[in-house]
Amino acid sequence: MSRQRRVAVTSPQTRVALAARRGVSAVPRSLTGEELRVAARIRRGQLRVAAGTLAAAALLLVGLPVLLGAVPVALRVGPFPVVWIAVALLPYPVLAVLAHWQLRRAERTEDGTEQAGRDLPDRAR
Amino acid sequence: MTALAVVPVVLATLLIGARGVAALRSTSDFLVASRRVSPTLNAAAVSGEYLSAASFLGTAGLVVKNGVGALWYPVGFTAGYLLMLVLVAAPMRRTGALTVPDFAEARLGSPGLRRFSAVVVLVIAGLYLVPQFTAAGQVLTLVSGTPHWVGIVVAGAAVSITLALGGMRAATYVQAFQFVLKLLLFIVPAIWLLVAAGADTRAEAVRPAEYAAFPRPTEVTFRLDTRLQVREPVTVLADGVPVRLEPGEHVAPGDATWVFPEGAAVPEIAGAALPGSGTWQRPLLDGGNWHPLLATWSVLVATALGTMGLPHVIVRFHTSPDGRAARRTAAITVGLLGSFYVFTVVYGLLGGVLVPELYLSGATDTAVVALPSRVDGGTTGDVFTALLTAGAFAAFLATSLGLLLALAGALAHDLLPGSLRRLRLTALLAAGVIVLLALPAARIDVGAVVTSAFAVAASTFCPMLVLGIWWRGLTARGAFVGMAVGLASSAGVMALGLVAQPGPGLVALLLGQPALFSVPLAFLTMVAVSRRDRPLPGAEAAMLRLHLDERT
Repeated sequence: MSRQRRVAVTSPQTRVALAARRGVSAVPRSLTGEELRVAARIRRGQLRVAAGTLAAAALLLVGLPVLLGAVPVALRVGPFPVVWIAVALLPYPVLAVLAHWQLRRAERTEDGTEQAGRDLPDRAR
Repeated sequence: MTALAVVPVVLATLLIGARGVAALRSTSDFLVASRRVSPTLNAAAVSGEYLSAASFLGTAGLVVKNGVGALWYPVGFTAGYLLMLVLVAAPMRRTGALTVPDFAEARLGSPGLRRFSAVVVLVIAGLYLVPQFTAAGQVLTLVSGTPHWVGIVVAGAAVSITLALGGMRAATYVQAFQFVLKLLLFIVPAIWLLVAAGADTRAEAVRPAEYAAFPRPTEVTFRLDTRLQVREPVTVLADGVPVRLEPGEHVAPGDATWVFPEGAAVPEIAGAALPGSGTWQRPLLDGGNWHPLLATWSVLVATALGTMGLPHVIVRFHTSPDGRAARRTAAITVGLLGSFYVFTVVYGLLGGVLVPELYLSGATDTAVVALPSRVDGGTTGDVFTALLTAGAFAAFLATSLGLLLALAGALAHDLLPGSLRRLRLTALLAAGVIVLLALPAARIDVGAVVTSAFAVAASTFCPMLVLGIWWRGLTARGAFVGMAVGLASSAGVMALGLVAQPGPGLVALLLGQPALFSVPLAFLTMVAVSRRDRPLPGAEAAMLRLHLDERT
């Protein structure tokens, strides 16, 4: 099962067409009841994780312009207006940290449901 | 001379493209490189594809034209990948869909919805591609004096040959290479500009004085018909003929060259802020209009939500081997893009001080390339002009490759399913059509048209993807009506704005930047219409499996 092997890719279009011909649903392989319960739990967990990150992103994208509209340009750190730093530089490290945080929590949410004994491929951590 | 800088970029694009040819055997190879690309390589390719002329040239140009508030654009461009990471990256990859229209059919089982999605892909890709080709022509015109069409034809030829030879496999390497190239060609000149500009210019850039009077006789070549508000009587040389202008509104015809005398008051332009003025310095968008907060939010909504709906970006996530790799790709991309965009401010602020007259001519998209010669009139300045030209050309090439692929995919894969040969031909034909469209479109504003593509994507694909992935209740009819409403309230409303040309105010803001209402409207319509239908029997399982690690 090497990752380096070329893989055949079936377009969902084809899958859907074949499934429709057999008169069944378009889902390629039907999940077992247990798998569905696990998936539902993961989805709920991922929604919680997503809600946190989205709230933080909204605070940055909606809240920061409000704040910057109120702070005078004359307020400076050294020669630089504070509001310029806040729009030109500050958002990027904040977004990168949020992305890292979201990635870690999303992967953990997925892993939390993995069965014991299944060998895990190499992970970044 | 400087125009020769684009030659190595085009050659490298072709060489790296040729590397992928041997691996190319089937349609899925062409579209998604058989899905073997690592997250880091793919993130570089995503960034390379994403950093278009709008990022490399347009944002700094918008700072010169509209003020510091334009720096919100790249924030939205970067935040788009955070939202993609949160909402769509992994589940979208797990659908196994090759394109967004594929997703529409795989999740909702409607061939009609697939074809409608393909039409939306054509709209978005067209809105995005034409300005890329136009910008290529503009930059080449600036640095070499070649006619506008030369740049457009060179760009079109390089892009379509690479695509036809190597497809996406080639594009992945090309895009990753071009990300590194663009990053270097953006950062190194920025640092040189800061050093070479000298302490006085640097001090002026952070404490800009209003561009109230021309400091020297200034030649302005207007790109478009421009309405000038003349504040004091002034005699200008209009194409060599002295003309006396009284205070009031005057229209400078496009392509006219006016020379303003030293010390004359700079005319104002409706809807733009004089470089260095109080509104220019304010970190919110749309200095000339009221409701700057609404304008800023609208651009942020369009750019941040539009990113996940851009067809050429979505297709790239399918080159990841699985959902986890797709998610990591999105996360790494946020960091890579940030490292590029933090340097935009250098070009924007120096442009406001060194080339403020571009605010009058409307050619602010050339501000980045025009800067080096203002700082250093000698060979060094020429070298850096050449480097920035090469970077800008790399930006057109990279973005155009991805967009043509999405366009060809929508045509050959979704609207008229066919063979590999047909897909290649389609890419070539699409490039030809775009070149023909770009030739007469020399006068469009690159940044504005690209942002409208984001607004359309945010109002159509974004709600379909988000609801399709997270809500089992979405139905094909709901998605169809919602996307139609989103398309009408974004593209339709913007077209209405172009025709009606309302004066500055809330109406102009809502017509020009409709994302603030068109995106919620599309979401609400999708939910409301879907609730009246019964979801397909397999809908819940079809949605849930997208959240399950596929290695289970």
